[in-house]
Amino acid sequence: MPRISEITDIDFDGVNHPYVPPKELRISPKLKLHRDWETEVDPVTYEVVRHNLWQINEEHGATIQRLSGSPVAMYALDLNPSLLTEDAEFVYFGPYMQYMSGVTDTQVKWTLEFRSDNPGIQEGDMFLANDPWVGAAHQQDVMLLCPVFWEGELFCWVTNCLHQYDIGGITPGSFCPSAESVYDEGIMLPPIKIIEKGEIRRDIEAVYLRASRKPQLVALDFRAQMAGNATARDRVLELIRRYGPRTVKGVMKKIIDNSEKAYLAKMARIPDGYWQDRTYIEACRPGDRRTHRVQLQLRKEGNKLLFSNDGSAGQEGAMNATYSGWRGAIMVAVTELLCWDQYFAVGGALRHVDFDPTPGTLNCANFPASVSTAPIQSMEISLYPAYNVLSKMIYPDAEMRRDIMCIGGTSQWPATLFRGTDQWGERYGYLLIDPIGGAIGAFAHGDGINTGGQSRTPICQLPNIEHTEQSFPILFLYRKELPDSGGAGKYRGGLSAESCFIPHNTDFITQDTLSSGNATPTSPGMMGGYPSTTNAYTFLRDTDIASRMQQSRMIEDTSEVSGKPELLQLRQENFIQNPADVYAVRWTGGGGFGDPFERDPVDIERDLEDLAITPAAALSIYGAVLNADARTVDRAATAKHRAAVRAARVARHQLPAVKREGSVLYAASVALEVKRDEQGTFWACGHCSTELGAVGGNYKDACILEEHPVSASNPLIGEPSDFIDDKVVFRQFCCPGCGVQIDNEIAVAHDPVLCDIAIKA
Amino acid sequence: MASFLCGLDIGGTFTDCVLIDEHGQLTISKAPSTPGNFAEGVLEALKRAGERVGLALPQLLDSITMLNHGTTAGTNAIIQRKGARVGLITTRGHNDVIHIMRGSRGLSGQDIKLIVHIPESSKPDPIIPKRLIRGVSERVDCFGKVVVTLNEEEVRAAIQSLLDEGAEALAVCFLWSFLAPAHERRVKEIAAEMAPGLYVTCSHELAPKWGEYERTTAVALNAYIGPLTVGYLTDLDRRLKDLGYQPPLQITQCAGGTISVRKASDAPLLTLDSGPVSGVTGSLYLGQVMNEKNIITTDMGGTSFDVGVIHDSKAVVSYKSLVHQYEYFLPKVDVQTMGTGGGSKVWIDKTTGTLRVGPQSAGAVPGPICYSRGGTVPTTTDADVVLGYLDADNFAGGTMQLDRAGAAAALQVLADELGMSLYELASGVAQIAEFQMADLVRKATIQKGLDPRDFVLFAFGGAGPVHMAVTAREAGIKRVVVPQGDTASTWCAFGAASADTLHVNEQVSIMSSPFEVARINTLLGELAAKGRAQLEEDGIAPAQQRFLFSIDMRHRGQINEVEVELDGGTLKESDLDGLRARFVRRYEQLYGRGASLPGARLECVTFRVRASAESRKPRIKEAATTTREIPAGAQTGTRDIYWAEWKRLAPTPIYDGYRLQPGNTLEGPCVIETTTTSIVVHPGQTVSMDALKNFVIETGLTA
Repeated sequence: MPRISEITDIDFDGVNHPYVPPKELRISPKLKLHRDWETEVDPVTYEVVRHNLWQINEEHGATIQRLSGSPVAMYALDLNPSLLTEDAEFVYFGPYMQYMSGVTDTQVKWTLEFRSDNPGIQEGDMFLANDPWVGAAHQQDVMLLCPVFWEGELFCWVTNCLHQYDIGGITPGSFCPSAESVYDEGIMLPPIKIIEKGEIRRDIEAVYLRASRKPQLVALDFRAQMAGNATARDRVLELIRRYGPRTVKGVMKKIIDNSEKAYLAKMARIPDGYWQDRTYIEACRPGDRRTHRVQLQLRKEGNKLLFSNDGSAGQEGAMNATYSGWRGAIMVAVTELLCWDQYFAVGGALRHVDFDPTPGTLNCANFPASVSTAPIQSMEISLYPAYNVLSKMIYPDAEMRRDIMCIGGTSQWPATLFRGTDQWGERYGYLLIDPIGGAIGAFAHGDGINTGGQSRTPICQLPNIEHTEQSFPILFLYRKELPDSGGAGKYRGGLSAESCFIPHNTDFITQDTLSSGNATPTSPGMMGGYPSTTNAYTFLRDTDIASRMQQSRMIEDTSEVSGKPELLQLRQENFIQNPADVYAVRWTGGGGFGDPFERDPVDIERDLEDLAITPAAALSIYGAVLNADARTVDRAATAKHRAAVRAARVARHQLPAVKREGSVLYAASVALEVKRDEQGTFWACGHCSTELGAVGGNYKDACILEEHPVSASNPLIGEPSDFIDDKVVFRQFCCPGCGVQIDNEIAVAHDPVLCDIAIKA
Repeated sequence: MASFLCGLDIGGTFTDCVLIDEHGQLTISKAPSTPGNFAEGVLEALKRAGERVGLALPQLLDSITMLNHGTTAGTNAIIQRKGARVGLITTRGHNDVIHIMRGSRGLSGQDIKLIVHIPESSKPDPIIPKRLIRGVSERVDCFGKVVVTLNEEEVRAAIQSLLDEGAEALAVCFLWSFLAPAHERRVKEIAAEMAPGLYVTCSHELAPKWGEYERTTAVALNAYIGPLTVGYLTDLDRRLKDLGYQPPLQITQCAGGTISVRKASDAPLLTLDSGPVSGVTGSLYLGQVMNEKNIITTDMGGTSFDVGVIHDSKAVVSYKSLVHQYEYFLPKVDVQTMGTGGGSKVWIDKTTGTLRVGPQSAGAVPGPICYSRGGTVPTTTDADVVLGYLDADNFAGGTMQLDRAGAAAALQVLADELGMSLYELASGVAQIAEFQMADLVRKATIQKGLDPRDFVLFAFGGAGPVHMAVTAREAGIKRVVVPQGDTASTWCAFGAASADTLHVNEQVSIMSSPFEVARINTLLGELAAKGRAQLEEDGIAPAQQRFLFSIDMRHRGQINEVEVELDGGTLKESDLDGLRARFVRRYEQLYGRGASLPGARLECVTFRVRASAESRKPRIKEAATTTREIPAGAQTGTRDIYWAEWKRLAPTPIYDGYRLQPGNTLEGPCVIETTTTSIVVHPGQTVSMDALKNFVIETGLTA
């Protein structure tokens, strides 16, 4: 299938195909843009105005949070405020839900192109928008765009995006796991002028609220979004009055120019190359037992970065995302790994980043594919490979290496969509927010962060159990961090957790599942690191929990109750949870970094002390031989055991292994070097200098390949055949000379070995 | 015989003592703080104060009617991580609450750099390691109903195993215990049987609030600092008693009043951050004297800038606190802080070529270059001395020589890099710092629904008066008060001396509208009774007891709560409409007009009673006469100072702060020097000395 850049006969206008903004926007002459700015702003004024613009965006976000007050805004922080130039380049983007960046500039650009003539863009207007083909992530993420005018000219934009509880569709909460197209999902609004000359258009607001099961909450959120924009707009105008429009605009442009400079300086330090990653979505509709491949390629040539999704599966069922969702997902990683030092001012970098996916794929779906689950499925699954390819890209630079982050927890969201009548006698329908607790993956210089949240929302917070129990008729039996849930590695991924609950003060709860990453780990490690646990649902029917409660014998693991285990599928619909049925949900943790055999015994001892790993995993995964106390590591025995395992690999395969000296050009990963001698440039083992082929080829082809069941990679990973028909394997690639593991990959058995790093010969 | 009020505050370097006699006369003394055994420094400061009023220590103590003391024992235990080894008992299945930390890194509202750059951040070290946490079977539900009885066998086994592991204190927090505290109480009883004398703290006593993470953090921290604080206070109390001090020693607390030694021993967490809070208390009192109802108090020192807000003669409080990334529940006077101070480092972002100030600080050591203590990175103080705001030859009353040349050389390097003059750069540094601080002032008010333009700003701290005239102007504030006399330098001790006895009692009980008046009244009545008993224990007569009632309310289904004040502790059926109206008014004041949803169901969440007793207040003496005539010799000379407003150096008059008289008014630009600070008055501003000898700057805003 062709990529967007290869298609010439389709108009990417956001109707049947995704909107892809052209290089030059077609804006009606009716709309005058403010295009006059100071190019030489003195450093002091620059810093003062810059700080103010950042603060304005902060205050914008805080206003929405305070006004909305919904659990979505307060805990999941599923919102983001932005400040953009008149022509929709990012000045600042808030530290909230990072996905929303990629869906912001496209919607403003579309509005400039398609609304500037009719109905026109005027002072006092705001536009409501949530059409995923125009640029929303999914229908629930409703944007409100506010043009800011100065003396009749469009000066800049302030915008925000806020996830809504319910905007209609066949499932309460508007995540629709069994939808076959957008016609089964919530209301869809291409940008529409809902505020005109400062007044809400009541007719249009009524249309917007009509499809929702919770119109009052949506109305309240809409007011919060409006107030957020108004606050930011007024403060920008104040700033203009104080410093003049030319200066303020000059600072905006310079913020972008500076972020571009910072980006270019980084690019100059990194070698060119090509990186690729692969992962899978499971079950695109109820009853589906297939895996759906997701691939991401990154090519760096000089200053340019090009992302594509060649080889990704076709759109189908209810798992898809649109172009903007995919782009937004990748931008999260670009922002966090490359633009953090410019406080997420991603506008400058974007001048050099191209996105060229293939339409019709699951993460660049055409109309009318179902996309309501995008943020927790196709977008999430598109994001984390982007961390991997970018991390590998920056690894050669020792300083940028400190920015590397492995894939974090909740890399696919194991949703428990529930509904019924609550303890107050009212109807409810929502999902358990607990997986937002996530985990942060390992860094290239240290361990990840246990239940450190989801990296794509750097300041989210999990509700207290007492908050959730107040809102919903459930009783938590436990919520705990899980030993071994973090991916193993020289640096360990953060631990994830499991929540377990029963219905309480209600007769029953009607449940749907919606998940992926239960068979195939979606938080693999990096550069030899191992994956975290998979997602997991545990459901025990007719347990003895009631009598245990009676006898005051509570549990801290599902294994303690007796009951009939029931295997929940990943899109199981309308099943009933009675008060005697115990339900636990576990989410993925953070991936590990580097070979676990390289982990320092001191760190392993600390892990044992902190209950981060089990003694069994210390031996089987980390190769650490413990003393009789099962808390301390026998150093000598460990070194001997690790060496023996490596030697055995070499002996088993007896592949040709030639040491080849030469000068090291750079380290491509922890144990992989790019070297050069008179004969040319080649891959080499970073430990023993064994040559691993010429750089035109795949170094993995020269490695020992050992294939294990995927359960060998993490003690908490179960049996894939419970959910999918494909066999899933854990492939280790080891040096044929010394047996050290150079990398590993998780793959569906019939997929070929992945070429994860390539450089031109 | 004289009778005194006494305030004592332990700082990092000095322990301050303030005595106030019945005429309002102040006596100040200082003694070096004595880490390890702070009581030594406290007694020494008292002794020195006694010498000044001609009384030996026992006689002095005999004539003190109230001694209020701010302790840092708890804060130090946390900073130095020298707290007790704490065991935690919690609901089985929920051991990891304080490790999960609500899935966050505890950084919200903190350094934005750590938020955006995840690889630099981490969770804080746990106060209690997982191996010292025990879950026991028990359970209460959201209605406060016991659904699983307490398994006492498990409790005994848990306590024993924690003791075996060497636990020195015990924290207890069960889910929903604020609705049904019996299980926590029982654990405390069992612990008392098994380990008499063990320090035990229960969440329903310390922080009966909704949310197990913040409640567990509160008990964990409280137990962590408990044994040390108890040790210190008991020792000091005993030594004072031995020396003849009769009345109960009062300890200042973070909610803005004082508590008894016993309460401080049960809830040492209340003493955290009480120092800066005493500053706000002192401002509150001075504000009353000056008839100022709305005050922003600022304290700019070497490493930080603190902001507190007084609105309508009440300190603005928050109910959630943060220490070292740990969030916990406790009512506290809200003091917001940022890392801008005299020590903020000046640097250039190399990639983008832009000028930055902070957030890194050179601290006290090595400090600014001009202090000649080994600092090599220029700071805001270095810019101040280059600009001429500070006199290199007469700093701190002439006790310290500043290295202006060194400061200038370092700043010149940066100026060259940016193609600016030295003075342009230095004045840019000052402006950037001043504007950053103005942002915090804005935030501290606007986020509480208040408008900074309705406030006057009090400037404390050595660096504050140098910069606050501009900071205030940028935040839209018309007037800055630089409190003078000796009160300014011993502000926190003065605040401690003027603090009232205060007990804040809270109870969460979530109820939806339509409300039952009887239930509300019962709750408020119980809280008031608790407060009354506490005040009685403090020896406060009923006539002096004051009670303030409030309820935190919200829209049902939402998170944000607002505190709604009541007229009294007994509501009538007919008051309910008024209650809704008050909620809407307060909500819209905070969140904007039209923000509230008419007709939506409301919820009451937290019920609160503040029981207080007004203590005798110091009386500050006003000058009998004022004069416009500036005394000869008040102007000590002129100095060339760079003014950003004029973009040039200008000879500027310098005044000796001690020679000016009440009623004197000076036009800016000028600088007034005292031993502790320099008051910088910019062109277009004026400064005058009021009848209380405070300096008052008009910032030049007209509207």
